[in-house]
Amino acid sequence: MPQEGRARPQAGLDVAGLIKRFGLSVAVAGVDLSVRPGEFFTVLGPSGCGKTTLLRMVSGILVPDGGRIAIGGRDVTAAPIWTRRVGLVFQNYALFPHMSVAQNVAFGLSMQGVAREERTARVARALGTVRLDGYEARRPSELSGGQQQRVALARAIVTEPDLLLLDEPLSNLDARLREDMRAELLELQRRVGITTVLVTHDIHEAFALSDRVAVMRAGKVEQLGAPTELYERPANRFVAGFLGPVNEWEGRVEARAEGQARVAVDGIGSFDVAAPANCAVGQTAWLVLRPERVCIEAAEATASGLVGRVDHVSHLGNLVNYRVALGARALAVQSPPLRGRTLGVGQSVRVSWHAGDVAAVAL
Amino acid sequence: MKRALTALNVLMIVYILAPIVLVVWMSFTPTMLFRIPITQFSLRWYYEVFSYSAYVDAALLSLRLGLLAALVAVAVGFCAAYGLVRWKPPGSAVLMGLFTAPLVVPAVVFGIAMLQFINRIGLYGSFTALLLAHVVLVMPFAVRTLQASIQEHGPELEWAAMSLGARRWRAVMLVTVPLCLRGMIAAFLFCFLISFSEITVTLFMTGPAHQTLPVRIFNYVSDRIDPTMAAVSSMVVLLTVVIALALNRLGALSELKK
Amino acid sequence: MTAAALAGPGFPRASLAARLGGAGWLFLAPAVVLMVAAYLAPLFDSIVISFHPNTPQGIDRAHWILGNYARLFDDYYATVLLRTLRVSVIITLLSVLLAYPVALWLAELSPRGQTWAILVYMSPWLVNTVVKSFGWTLILGNSGVINTGLRAAGLIDAPLRLMFNELGIVIGLLPGHFLFVLLPLWAALKGIDDNLRWAAMTLGARPGTVFLRITLPLTLPALIAGAIINFTMNMAAFAAPALLGGTRARVLSFVAYQVNLEELNWPFGGALAVAMLTVTLGCIALAQWVGGRLR
Repeated sequence: MPQEGRARPQAGLDVAGLIKRFGLSVAVAGVDLSVRPGEFFTVLGPSGCGKTTLLRMVSGILVPDGGRIAIGGRDVTAAPIWTRRVGLVFQNYALFPHMSVAQNVAFGLSMQGVAREERTARVARALGTVRLDGYEARRPSELSGGQQQRVALARAIVTEPDLLLLDEPLSNLDARLREDMRAELLELQRRVGITTVLVTHDIHEAFALSDRVAVMRAGKVEQLGAPTELYERPANRFVAGFLGPVNEWEGRVEARAEGQARVAVDGIGSFDVAAPANCAVGQTAWLVLRPERVCIEAAEATASGLVGRVDHVSHLGNLVNYRVALGARALAVQSPPLRGRTLGVGQSVRVSWHAGDVAAVAL
Repeated sequence: MKRALTALNVLMIVYILAPIVLVVWMSFTPTMLFRIPITQFSLRWYYEVFSYSAYVDAALLSLRLGLLAALVAVAVGFCAAYGLVRWKPPGSAVLMGLFTAPLVVPAVVFGIAMLQFINRIGLYGSFTALLLAHVVLVMPFAVRTLQASIQEHGPELEWAAMSLGARRWRAVMLVTVPLCLRGMIAAFLFCFLISFSEITVTLFMTGPAHQTLPVRIFNYVSDRIDPTMAAVSSMVVLLTVVIALALNRLGALSELKK
Repeated sequence: MTAAALAGPGFPRASLAARLGGAGWLFLAPAVVLMVAAYLAPLFDSIVISFHPNTPQGIDRAHWILGNYARLFDDYYATVLLRTLRVSVIITLLSVLLAYPVALWLAELSPRGQTWAILVYMSPWLVNTVVKSFGWTLILGNSGVINTGLRAAGLIDAPLRLMFNELGIVIGLLPGHFLFVLLPLWAALKGIDDNLRWAAMTLGARPGTVFLRITLPLTLPALIAGAIINFTMNMAAFAAPALLGGTRARVLSFVAYQVNLEELNWPFGGALAVAMLTVTLGCIALAQWVGGRLR
């Protein structure tokens, strides 16, 4: 476990064409994924998108209706759960309430038949890794949520599994603790170097922790890539909207060439963007622009940009959200508070942005 | 493994239901002797039951006793449960213990005590004494069922009614009682069933004047076996099944599981 | 407006909460009076009587003795007590043995199936004891279903003695009292988070190990509590043992009936009642102690 220089090479996870149905509904509708050895990989999606079902199939709790699962190149699709060598951390931690912290952590080791002395030593080391030294004799019910979380982590990694699976592990913690645990989790994963798959609906968690993220919806992977890549270049409107507030414009393709396209939006103007898949001249295309990419100024302060009128203002402290009326359109704008003065409702403003911040997306 | 479990459970269910099913089956035999398999079907014993005043009187007594005991227990039990839930008096655990004690204390012990007590105060053989004993015996079922029912609805609705000008008793009558109607029906049926089935305490207390149906069947089973008894028993089973299904529908049985 | 005005009787919210205070006793009074007068008073009087001598003229309330309790240790009553204990323990052990297979099977059923199966397992408790016992006499008697069947098949010459003995009591009482082990166990089983089992399995435990290390320890308190309730009910049962045990296998409750209604020896009858009450309350206390220890 958490010592330097693992005995066994890191294992990857390969999932191909995975399908799971519950009655008539399809929870996972053909998912292909490849998690690299040592990677921190996140499956992100709204509730009911099938991400937990996917994780449960990888861990062996659910049997897939189709497709293959391989851990470290070993096909485990039909392997019983107790042979899979995965460490699983549940949303509710699932600590054994009738056992002490030490007994919880030692459970997997005693299943492997590890001798008592070694077991004790490894349990102590695992508890040290999660900064719970001295908690061996406590009962789970005597621990705080964050401590329970760490026991669950220690229990999952002490057996040196090939794969660490985390099912919404931070969602039961309060906001501040969640931030701390996020940092701790990342640090731990880097130190132990274990291939990790996290399932979450929390975008910030996914972005803060992951090397790569797969965004799921309705049992399918919508887009897979590094966090910045997903945020900057969302593949479709769902991904764009799911990852944060976004201005969406429906436009018409005026011209296209060499992977570039010119899209005209009524009342806003024309944009040169990387062409979305299969778009032809005359067709509809969707453009997205993040509110924080928009510059907003009082109309008299600048001469560049489109003129609009502030419709609505809400102050968030470090940020201000505006809704600006551009003719018949509404534009969401997010910016730090302007120094010395505020833009009030009804005020005339100018808005502008870099052409490169507008991206075309598929439906 | 799973097959073995299912097989065991099927055996258990056959074992559990066998005496009940057999009684019903037997009640349809036309002959005086019980014989297996039954080749003929007859309602003869059902007709005889109704011409046999010993059964009819006993059944009427049991019905009257059960209905009255259930009525009193639900009325008294509702007030008690309401006081316990809304007021949470000091020592409410002790009070709950008092109301549910008949579940724990063996019926034989209460039967002996009742026998001696009603003789001392001169109520031996009276219907009143029997009724009081039955109310006590069904009280745990009334209080528990009604307590759960009242707890389901917080005091907020009563507060709302009172803030609109209703005095407490009107708020209770207009808001809480209608909301707890299901619970009250369930409690009533439950109490009736328990009272209707009660044998032990009744047997200790009862004089020759007040033989309830279970007591009469008990005395006959000890003496002789007679097919009319199967017919009477079948009707008791039918009544029990109807009440049990109603209770199940009302969710009162799941309350018992806790 | 001053603070005094706020605290006065006119402030609605405070008075709403307080108003039931005095009236609370009015709600509880009928039930308390009833239970004290018609339940506690007779029980108390019965305990008092058990310390008085029985004379041909009636109970001698002027004298206090312990003789009624000494008589409990007579050979006859000791035999009856031992028999009652033996039968009760056998029923409890059988109930405990059967509880896991039944509860595990129930837990695997669909919610609808569970409701019906539970109703079936409840039925012996809901159906009148006398009716059930009558049914058992039809099955177990010398000319009952089993003996008739076996004789017709040529397997036996003389009828098997299946009732009017301890076997009859066990057979007759088990179904109705089994429920009180089954229901708590089933509830405990349903209360176990599925993830605990999955967690154990991902850590390498096979299903058998999961049962022994997770399921069993987590349900044991409920099982023990249920078993103790079951035992007290076996000890106290009256009608079924009276009808199925016959004169050969008299249990404590039936002897108490005879002493009170045939011998009319109420002081001794009261002592028997106190003895039964003590055993029951002792068991309940034990159950609560065990429950507290294992929690």
